[in-house]
Amino acid sequence: MTVTETRPSAAGRSQPTPSPAQRLIAMPVRIAKSPHSARVLFPIALFVVWLLSLAAVEEIWPFAVDVLPTPSEVGGFMWDEFVTDTLARKNLYETFFISLRRLMSGFAIAMVLGTGLGLAMGLSRATNAFCHDWTMAILAMPALAWALFNSIIFGFDDRGPILTVILAGIPFVIVNVREGVRNTPRELFDMARSFQVPQSKIIRHVLVPSLMPFMFAAARYCFSIGWKGLVIAEVFGGQDGAGWTIKFWYDAHRAHGVVGYAAFFVIFAILFERLVFEPVSRRAFRWRPQLQTEVVEEAFGEHHEHYGEDHHGEGEAARR
Amino acid sequence: MAEIKIKNLHKEFGTGEDKVVALEDVNLEITGHSFVSIVGPSGCGKSTLLNILTGIETPTNGTVEITSDGHVAAPGYVFQAARLLPWRTVTDNLLFVQEDRSDETKKRCQRYLEMVQLGDKGDKFPGELSGGMQQRVGIARAFSIEPDVLFMDEPFSHLDAITARALRRELHHMWDETKKMVVFVTHDVGEAVELSNRILVFAKGGSLEDDIQIDLPFPRDPADDEVAVAKAHVLRKFEELDLLAS
Ligand SMILES: Nc1ncnc2c1ncn2[C@@H]1O[C@H](COP(=O)(O)OP(=O)(O)OP(=O)(O)O)[C@@H](O)[C@H]1O
Ligand SMILES: [Mg+2]
Repeated sequence: MTVTETRPSAAGRSQPTPSPAQRLIAMPVRIAKSPHSARVLFPIALFVVWLLSLAAVEEIWPFAVDVLPTPSEVGGFMWDEFVTDTLARKNLYETFFISLRRLMSGFAIAMVLGTGLGLAMGLSRATNAFCHDWTMAILAMPALAWALFNSIIFGFDDRGPILTVILAGIPFVIVNVREGVRNTPRELFDMARSFQVPQSKIIRHVLVPSLMPFMFAAARYCFSIGWKGLVIAEVFGGQDGAGWTIKFWYDAHRAHGVVGYAAFFVIFAILFERLVFEPVSRRAFRWRPQLQTEVVEEAFGEHHEHYGEDHHGEGEAARR
Repeated sequence: MAEIKIKNLHKEFGTGEDKVVALEDVNLEITGHSFVSIVGPSGCGKSTLLNILTGIETPTNGTVEITSDGHVAAPGYVFQAARLLPWRTVTDNLLFVQEDRSDETKKRCQRYLEMVQLGDKGDKFPGELSGGMQQRVGIARAFSIEPDVLFMDEPFSHLDAITARALRRELHHMWDETKKMVVFVTHDVGEAVELSNRILVFAKGGSLEDDIQIDLPFPRDPADDEVAVAKAHVLRKFEELDLLAS
C-alpha cells in the first residue's frame, strides 16, 4: 500500500488582484450594498416620500396646505417641545414621566401577577384548564375596549390607564411563563438530582435561568403592548400623559403636533429598547453568544408555532 | 467500600399498548473495588439501569441499594449526553454540583478540568465548546465530586480515538488509585474487555443474560493475545445470545 500526500498549493488559491479602475467602480457599489448605508438611506427615503406626497396632495387639493404638516413644521414643533417651550399644560418631560410612571406600575403588576399565574398554569393542569379561556378572552380584547371600560369605571385618574396596561400586557406574560415552565429542561433537573444538589440551588441555577428567555420575551411584549394600551387609555381617560397630550394637539387642530408627538412615542420606545432591553438581554444571555437579542423573538415565535398545533385558534389570537 | 444490591428489579414505561419493558427481573450484587462494564444492544435498558441506580428513575418493582461503609453512597454520573447548564461557565458547572465553594474545592475542580485537558477553558460557556469538549466537562464534573461510585454512560463514544484512549487510561488510573467502584456502560466490547474485571451482558427486553469475570492484569493492551482471546470470548457469548444481529 502506498500513501501519497498532496499539499494544497498556495498559488492555486490566490485571486487575481483587481485593477485600480475596477476598484473605483466597485467602491460605490459596495457602499450602497452595506447594511449601514441602507439604514441611513431609510430616513432619507422617508423624507423624500413625505415631500413628494405633500406636493402631490397639494396639487389635487390645495386647501390641504393648512392641514398637512411639513417636515420643517414638525421639526420645529419637536425642537420647541424638546426645549420645553410648549402650549400644552405640561412639558414633554413631565408628560413622559407621568406616562412612564403609569406604564411601570402596570408593567410591574402585570409581570408579577402574570408570572404567578403562568407558573401555576404551567405546573397544574387544573389551574390551566380553569384560567385558559379567561386568558384567551383577555388576549382577544382590544386595548381600546379596556381603555373605554376603565375610563367609565375609574374616571380620570391613574387607575384606569394602569389597569389598561395590566390587562393589555398580562396575557403575554401568562402565556410565555407557562410555556417556559412546560419547556423546562428535564434532563438538567435529573442531572442535578443525581448529584444530590439541594432543591433551593436547583431552583436558582436551573429553573430560574431556564425561564429567563421566556420571562424576557414576556417583559418585552408586556412593555410594548402595555405602552400602546396606555396611550389609548390616556386619550380617553386621562388629564395628562402622552396619550392625553397627543389628543390635545389633535383637538387644537395642530397636525404637526400630532405627528411630532407620535414621533416622540417612537423615539421613546426605541430609547427604551436600546437603553434597557438590549443591555439587559446582552448580559442575561451572554451564554448564547451568537444569537444575542434575537433569541427572544425566536423563542416567542417558536412557541406560538408549536402552540397553534395543539390548540387551534389560540396561536392566532396570541400572534396579534 | 461501596456496595450495590439489586433485587428483582423490574422497570416498565407507559401502560397498555405503549408499555415498554426496560428491565426484566434483574438480580445483581457488585461490591468493592470493581470496574463493571454493562454491554448490550441499543434499547436494552442500560441507561435506565443507571438512572435507577442514581435515583433519577424509580423501579416499577424490586429494590436497589447503594451503600458505602454503611451509609448511602454518593454517586457521580457521566451522562450519555453531557447535560451541562448552558448558562453557567465550565468552572461554574463543576462548582454547581459541589457541596461548598471553598478554595480547596475550586482547586480540585481545576485539577479535574486539567485532567480532561480543558484547564484553560474554565471561563467558557458550554455553547462555546465542541461536543467532545462538553462531554469531557461532564466527565470532569463527575470526577470532581470524588464519588463513592462512578456511573458512566458511554462516556467516550463521542470522542476521537486518541482523546478517548488518554481518558480511558486516566479513568483506569483513578479507579486504581482511589479504590472506588466504577459502573461503565458501553456498546464497545473491546473497550469493556480492556477496562473491566467484570462484564454484564444485557439482552433486548432488559434481562441480564451473562456475568463474565475477566481476571487479567492491568493495563491491558488490546493487541495482547490474552486480551484478544477474552474479547473473542465475549463476542462469542454475544453470538450465542444472538445479540449481534440486533
Ligand atoms: N422516560 C422514558 N419513557 C418511556 N420509555 C423509555 C424512557 N426511558 C427509556 N425508555 C425505553 O426503555 C427502553 C430502554 O431504554 P434505555 O435508554 O435504557 O436503553 P439503552 O440500553 O441505554 O440504549 P442505548 O444503547 O441506545 O443508549 C427503550 O425501549 C426506551 O424506549
Ligand atoms: Mg443509553
